[in-house]
Amino acid sequence: MTANRSKDSEFTRRTLVAGAVGGVLWSGLIARLIQLQLIEGDEYAELATENRIRLDPAPARRGVIYDRFGQKLASNKRNFYVMVVPEEVDDLQSTVERISRYIPLSDRKKRQILVQARSQARFVPVPVADDLSWEDFSKINVHAPEFKGVYAEVGELRSYPMGAAFAHTIGYVARPNREELDNVVAEEIARLNIDPQNVAAVRGIRSRMQRIYRHPDMRLGRQGIEQFAESYLRGSPGFSREAVNAAGRVVERLDSSDVAPKDGGDIVLSFDAEIQKFAINRFGDEAGSAVVMDIRTGELIAMASTPAFNPNDFVSGISQAKYNLLLENEKSPLYHKAYDGLYPPGSTFKMVVGAAALEAGVVTPQERIYCGGKTWFGGRDFYCWKRGGHGAMDLHTGIQKSCDVYFYEVARRVGVQKIADMARRFGIGHVYELGLTGGAKGVVPDPAWKAENLREPWYEGETLNYGIGQGYLTTSPLQLAVMTARIAREDHAHTPNLFVGGMAPPESNAPVFELPDQEIVQRLRNGMFAVTSEAGGTAMRAGDVGNGKRLAGKTGTAQVRRITTAERATGVLKNEALPWRFRDHALFVSYAPADDPKYVCVVVVDHGGGGSSTAAPIARDIMEETLRRDPSSKPVHSVSSPIASSDFEAGEAI
Amino acid sequence: MMRIRADRQSIADKARNLHWSLMLTIIAIAAFGGAVLVSVTLKDPRMAGIPIQHILRFILILGATIGIALAPIRYWAAIAYPAYLGALLLLVCVELFGAMGGGAQRWLDIGPIRIQPSEIMKIAILLALARYYHQVRDSKLPNMLNHVMALAIILVPMILVLKQPDLGTSLMLAATGGVVVFFAGLSWRVIVSGFVFVGIAIWPVYQFGLKDYQKERVLTFLEPSRDPLGAGYQLQQAKIAIGSGGLEGKGYMQGTQSQNNYIPEQHTDFIFTIVAEEFGFVGSLTLLAAWAIALTFGLMIANRSTSIFGALASAGVVATLAFYVVVNIGMVMGLMPVVGVPLPLISHGGTAMITVMMGFAILLMTHIHRDQALVLKGVV
Repeated sequence: MTANRSKDSEFTRRTLVAGAVGGVLWSGLIARLIQLQLIEGDEYAELATENRIRLDPAPARRGVIYDRFGQKLASNKRNFYVMVVPEEVDDLQSTVERISRYIPLSDRKKRQILVQARSQARFVPVPVADDLSWEDFSKINVHAPEFKGVYAEVGELRSYPMGAAFAHTIGYVARPNREELDNVVAEEIARLNIDPQNVAAVRGIRSRMQRIYRHPDMRLGRQGIEQFAESYLRGSPGFSREAVNAAGRVVERLDSSDVAPKDGGDIVLSFDAEIQKFAINRFGDEAGSAVVMDIRTGELIAMASTPAFNPNDFVSGISQAKYNLLLENEKSPLYHKAYDGLYPPGSTFKMVVGAAALEAGVVTPQERIYCGGKTWFGGRDFYCWKRGGHGAMDLHTGIQKSCDVYFYEVARRVGVQKIADMARRFGIGHVYELGLTGGAKGVVPDPAWKAENLREPWYEGETLNYGIGQGYLTTSPLQLAVMTARIAREDHAHTPNLFVGGMAPPESNAPVFELPDQEIVQRLRNGMFAVTSEAGGTAMRAGDVGNGKRLAGKTGTAQVRRITTAERATGVLKNEALPWRFRDHALFVSYAPADDPKYVCVVVVDHGGGGSSTAAPIARDIMEETLRRDPSSKPVHSVSSPIASSDFEAGEAI
Repeated sequence: MMRIRADRQSIADKARNLHWSLMLTIIAIAAFGGAVLVSVTLKDPRMAGIPIQHILRFILILGATIGIALAPIRYWAAIAYPAYLGALLLLVCVELFGAMGGGAQRWLDIGPIRIQPSEIMKIAILLALARYYHQVRDSKLPNMLNHVMALAIILVPMILVLKQPDLGTSLMLAATGGVVVFFAGLSWRVIVSGFVFVGIAIWPVYQFGLKDYQKERVLTFLEPSRDPLGAGYQLQQAKIAIGSGGLEGKGYMQGTQSQNNYIPEQHTDFIFTIVAEEFGFVGSLTLLAAWAIALTFGLMIANRSTSIFGALASAGVVATLAFYVVVNIGMVMGLMPVVGVPLPLISHGGTAMITVMMGFAILLMTHIHRDQALVLKGVV
């Protein structure tokens, strides 16, 4: 035997067999070619030349956001847009120039159009301009005959009928950017279960997604609910299938049910738009925020932050100059002060300190502590806001008159840890998941927090400041609303919520805490009632909320700057004498009616001066309006949810 | 004609002995590919450079192919096992390092070079099998134990490739390796029972062995409306393009379907749709005939070879090329699932071209050394 033969007949036989198998395979391919090209050829030829099937991207209608009575907070308006098909024009650049005679196009936009046209197949339309006025749109339409390959069409675009009123909570939409496009592509790849290394398939998905997401109607949520609930509101964009003739004109709309867009779902919020607008108007030129909440259900009736931006400006891209104005405004219009803003709670925190002390038994309700205007501790004086002192104070008068010395002493006795624990039990130091982006946690300081974050031990002097809501402690106005609700009623809602229809509210992540004995909480309520309704209270003028109903509340003034000993010696500067940004924040937390609490209202006026002079009157007026309208007593607008809410869990937004 | 002792051939003798008919056939196919690519990329400025790239790449690789085809056959035999083991090692590397990337990983990045070990393996496995049987035949006819050894040579890389996961390539390794075993003389009884066994094994493999997306592909193949925007759409458009070509086609650069970009991936895997649309049944048949001619030359080269090594390696190459052509055209015409196999020498893409031309190098090399006896000892 040798490996170098090799003319054995067996090998030749097998060569012939292999050749025969090859012949069979080739015959199979040829048979299929005969079937497709010769037998069915005419049929396919008709499909190809007469009625070519074209898939045009079709964005889904974006879900509408309503207030509790069905007023539209975010809806859709008509979008007039213009597109150009590069294949159908002789010279794209001159066409674009001619279009710009009728509608304004920046040089940057013109360049963009040319670049995009160069980067895609020539038959794919390039958006020229969208969100056009009716006048501009008509001009193009009238001149349509001289524009070959230019199409003026009508679509739908986001609009915010209430303007700035809900800007922070609802957010806004904008054209998809590159990163968002990448996310959309990645999502689609995951949804279709495509192998990410399959370059061909991935490229197909990418070009399909680009066609959809570059459509002139397409916008994505960039902030607030618009971003959080993006996939729910957006629905599923799809395609419409059309038969087009050889010239590219649509001859027939074909059945597209398998690829059609699915409309986004609507959302009903617990807001009462009228109360929200009333609150914003009431602030006037002041900056700040107001939170109105239904105590029993936790539904937010209003959550206003003012001044605000107009989200309509962002839908088609805000100009740099306009945006800079917003950025530079020292009243921070871009910032959701009620949800993202953090303030020292000041004296509004004193109920928490009182509850901690009573529960620990370090002070009895009747025990009197003498206030001489200041107290000496750890080598320095701690001052009361009332220089002359309050005299003998107990818990009731301590809250009523907001005596600092009383709470210095009580805080010192109960200690930092019990105050921090009580603050958390009342709902401070937690981000409440409402279904929008953002949310501030704030700081509830305790020795462990300080060791970790500042690498320093806790000093007892800091506990005294803690007693009057100053120091490291920061809270958001929403947290103060939760705190006030938990004081106001035994059967309060556990957490605030915003979604009352359409999309399922995000799952609450708030820890459940046992509140102190109701006998203790009742004493806090009595103190808050005295603030507005017993002689000597700090907010006597805010007590009457109409129809014989009373409001109970607590003032707070949060120091923004440190007052030095030198300044104390020469006399503390009055707020009015300071630049705006150094003035104190004014706070007021309240609930009403005092005998059967229904609503909580928290007002924070940024650098407003004093809680009793600035914040309390605003809160009183908002509360009066809320009680007058009493939104919780009326039925809530209902919408049908086209898509099962369970498909849109929190965090799915892109 | 005087027969030259093959082992004394000079380079000039060898060059004169090149299989010019085969070379002209493949040059014709590649040139046709370049022309088709011009038509495909006509309306998309981003792809304007592709046809030139295709032709330049082919010329470059053709030069290299002729160069290595002139190398003595014993060199080819000598690198068979090292190449196989090297490719195996690289496949293991892909398995180890590729896992970090997540999903399917088929290549390794070594500095600026990206190598795809499964492509190397397509050629290396043929050389290794050919060499193995060559040495067996030195003393006796291969027995069952030898065939089991050969099966191991096939199965190990096949499983590694399947794990990447790359179903198409692993099936290709199995099919081409199987053809070599067949040529080496596997008994007919075993072949028949093997086919029966595969027939029975299809269901459990489908049920438990395939990833979801692979199943999805099979299902889409069986029922194209499952994914109306993806593969189903692609196939439907492909059929319209092919069918509307008719007998004579719509003419070069005149295909309405192709020119309007209705078919995704038409410059790579789906390029046959343009051939069929613009050149019609006549053109498609001509292309199939050109491939049939090239492969027939290949079978004749295999049958003519004195050394078992050359004969088996060439037979394996023919099987590999046939697999490419049948699977690609069959897939585009809706005869089999879309598995991402290019049409050699026509589709745009460098990796597949290198593999295919390496195969041609083996055919040319075997032809040049057709009279040369080859004595192999040991493993290197």
